[in-house]
Amino acid sequence: MYKIARIQIYLILATALFLQGGAVNYVAISGAKPDLPLMAVIFFGLFLGPAAGLESGLAAGLLKDIFALDFFWINTITLGLTGFVIGAINTQFFKESKRADFIFVLIFTAFAMSLHYSIAVVLSDSIALGFLEFFKSSIIPTAIYTGLVSIPVYSKLLDVYKLKETEEYL
Amino acid sequence: MRTVKRNKILKILAVIIFSVILISTSKTIISPQRAGIIDLLSVPLKAIHSFFGSARNIMPFASLREENRLLRERINLLARKIDELKMVAAENDRLKDLINFRKTIPFATIPAQVIGRDPSNWSNSIIIDKGLTGGVKQGRAVLSTKGLVGRVLEVGRYSSKILLITDPNSKVGVMIQRNRHGGILAGRPDGKCRMVYIALDSDVAVGDKVITAGFGAIFPKDILVGEVVRVDKEPGRLYKSAVIKTAEDLSRLEEVLCIK
Repeated sequence: MYKIARIQIYLILATALFLQGGAVNYVAISGAKPDLPLMAVIFFGLFLGPAAGLESGLAAGLLKDIFALDFFWINTITLGLTGFVIGAINTQFFKESKRADFIFVLIFTAFAMSLHYSIAVVLSDSIALGFLEFFKSSIIPTAIYTGLVSIPVYSKLLDVYKLKETEEYL
Repeated sequence: MRTVKRNKILKILAVIIFSVILISTSKTIISPQRAGIIDLLSVPLKAIHSFFGSARNIMPFASLREENRLLRERINLLARKIDELKMVAAENDRLKDLINFRKTIPFATIPAQVIGRDPSNWSNSIIIDKGLTGGVKQGRAVLSTKGLVGRVLEVGRYSSKILLITDPNSKVGVMIQRNRHGGILAGRPDGKCRMVYIALDSDVAVGDKVITAGFGAIFPKDILVGEVVRVDKEPGRLYKSAVIKTAEDLSRLEEVLCIK
């Protein structure tokens, strides 16, 4: 059972996508911008479990696929899988620490972006971008930026939804 | 009895005469004394006057408070209007630039507004408000006043998706303006581009302008793409590469021109 109502999960995802397509472009630092939908998916996976992680990942990914000029389904697969994986391992870690949350977001943003790159390279024969260059120019700055943004956002969401580390939602 | 009456009349007459004499001499006798008294009193009088004058100025009369509130509201309204006008002026300037640029290029173009952006961190694309009904065709180049933007990839009836030159799937034939050495411009997700396959003997340098080469049917020749910001030459590679900063800040585009 969800601690957060399903409609609220979708509202948070929609807000994250809306901001990602607009305001986030204005806070980009040398091309790097935080990935808010991915950050929301990691949050749901981390605090609500694998089902919520998978569901929110599939929904956010599908919406991304509709609006992006990317291979269709690539974001659905990437975000769905990321949400599920983080949900599946969420009971093995202590999450009540801002530092731990930052590290989780950092690692899983890098994981999702690497997964996206791998699928894109398999599907496309025209990508001239090497993984190392992509890792240095995009993955590291985006993961750090998303991780930093997640610290106040997660803290606020945890306060709003009163999600404490109890067995109720694990 | 008669004598008493006459005395009374004489007394009254004397008082009248005395008064007339007093009045007629008052200017010369009393004025200096009076002036002295007024001089003496002028300092406290002045202080009292200035105190009441100041008090009158600072007294929060109800009417002044109301007038103040109305004026503040008016100031807020005018400030908002000034902000709106500034935005309109900025838009006007941008549109003027767009019209002037449109006149200078030898292609028929369709102006369009950017209405959406890619929410993905991998691809770089924009959505514009013109589609098939506006005359936009798939595969045509898209420009801004400063240079190349991308190409039309998907066309709807009333909107189109533009693949920006910074998208990893975008490839554009380009050359260095100074020495006409060619290469391929490939996008990167961080919003920059990399020019690859530059000949090893090419003297490409930081600051060189990069323009379209005009190979193929999509991008017309000699359109400014950007500027070289770094040149890389990795050992063992047969070609050089360069990082290119696009002429237009593609993350903040608001209006574009689609070539017909």
